[in-house]
Amino acid sequence: MAAKKEQQLLTGPISGHAYNSDLSQLVVSDTSSTFYIYKKDAKGTFTKDKELKKHIERVKSVDWAPRTNRIVTCSGDRNAYVWNLDLESGEWKPTLVLLRIDRAATFVRWSPAEDRFAVGSGARILSICYYEEEPDWWVSKHIKKPIRSTILCIDWHPNNYLLAVGSCDFKCRVFSSALKELEDKPTTSGWMPKLSKFATLLAEFDTSEGWVHGVKFSPSGDKLAWVSHDSSVNVVEMGRQEKVFRCLVSTLPLTTVLFLSESALVCAGHDNIPSLYNLVGEEVVFGARLDVSKKKEVGGMSAMARFKQLDKTGDKEDDSKLNTTHQNAIVELRATRIQDGKVKQFSSAGQDGKVVMWDVDVLAASIGGLKI
Amino acid sequence: MSKAVDSRQFRTIDIDAYDEEAYQDDKSTDVTGSQEHSLQVSERAAQVKQLLNTSKCGDALTLALKDPPIGHLDASVKDQNYQTVMSVLKAFRTTDIDSAINSLSAPEVDVLMKYLYKGFSCSPDKAASLLLWHEKAVKKGGLGSIVRVMVDRKGV
Repeated sequence: MAAKKEQQLLTGPISGHAYNSDLSQLVVSDTSSTFYIYKKDAKGTFTKDKELKKHIERVKSVDWAPRTNRIVTCSGDRNAYVWNLDLESGEWKPTLVLLRIDRAATFVRWSPAEDRFAVGSGARILSICYYEEEPDWWVSKHIKKPIRSTILCIDWHPNNYLLAVGSCDFKCRVFSSALKELEDKPTTSGWMPKLSKFATLLAEFDTSEGWVHGVKFSPSGDKLAWVSHDSSVNVVEMGRQEKVFRCLVSTLPLTTVLFLSESALVCAGHDNIPSLYNLVGEEVVFGARLDVSKKKEVGGMSAMARFKQLDKTGDKEDDSKLNTTHQNAIVELRATRIQDGKVKQFSSAGQDGKVVMWDVDVLAASIGGLKI
Repeated sequence: MSKAVDSRQFRTIDIDAYDEEAYQDDKSTDVTGSQEHSLQVSERAAQVKQLLNTSKCGDALTLALKDPPIGHLDASVKDQNYQTVMSVLKAFRTTDIDSAINSLSAPEVDVLMKYLYKGFSCSPDKAASLLLWHEKAVKKGGLGSIVRVMVDRKGV
């Protein structure tokens, strides 16, 4: 089995991607106001199935709720739509969500129970949206203070009412979004020592000097990791929030992070490759590059062939391609297959329009010394 | 035409400063500006001089890069530390630079990078030697160390 399976889906940058429950369909958004649903054919490649046009500005983020089979998209036109599949016609029908924001929506994620979703925006407002039966639409409740700049990323805690938010004001925060309307029964925990109402700021971390591009809770929810524009990976434990474990990365900034297990993280970003980081005691250490570049055939061309090509094309050799799988920054990492609480397969989407599936076990076998 | 057309005054207004919702750094948590810091910096300058006199360049470098006065309100304190670091960099032989950088930890390489970039802007005459240091520091710290200099809002 191959360590990775790549596919060039689009010619331009992908802004967001998400899979359905059995990975047979993929929703992808690019820099236009249309987003696409791809279906996996018999050979295992994704082919374009539907084009969904409803937004009037570029679609910034998409998410697919696997169990309830709903898609949510948010866009620069300050709106979000929830799409339901009409089984008779096979068409996706949009429902408007009133976000009540005056700037672009930047990021959207369904909660683990899929009864609500959170939308981050440039209006420095986090909108928690849920469905109301009576008026038959989605309403939103705002979390404003003390977020002071554009929200870039959100991640839900497994308990469905806590969430972490990373924003352009260089901070990573944890909020409570427990709602009486949705019959939440929050319990106290390391993140929430006292029962707190909706929009309470539970934790604020400011160890980053740069915008917080990606944030993620560990599978149990006891740890929180974030990556920021100052080329660092930061991890904090629920039980000891004063000590943030910080790892200085030696490449360009990372934009997205994913926990493979409680002690292993995969990060990716402007360095074009997913990299493994391990939590060892009180430190986050770099584990390995997961994209092992194939060595270019050195000296494969004879001197005569080289001069011939130089004469014909004026170029010495074709070095216009980077030797990484992704030819541009990776925008998003998604866990696609989880077994026993560990991620066994994840997918990366990049600014080069490629979507690549990475198999964790095969990578571990092929790259020596990986600890996952 | 009215007089207003001639006036270019409005083009010099920093409109973003009047934006109430613009992000302002929270300055209340800055502990710099203290007397302690300036004392530390002067002491360090003396100690580093001593080390350089006894040719302990490696130790001088580590000491010079320790606890930089980041964001200090008094520019003379920052200046003094900057001069200390520059004097150390000048004292190194080209062949010794590699081993010196290899013995630095990642945060120390970051501080060195900050001073190198300050050097590029303040002392362009030293650019040649600073570029040599820069090349070797990038080998150790990678592009990430340069990124951290760029995002640093307080400045060393």
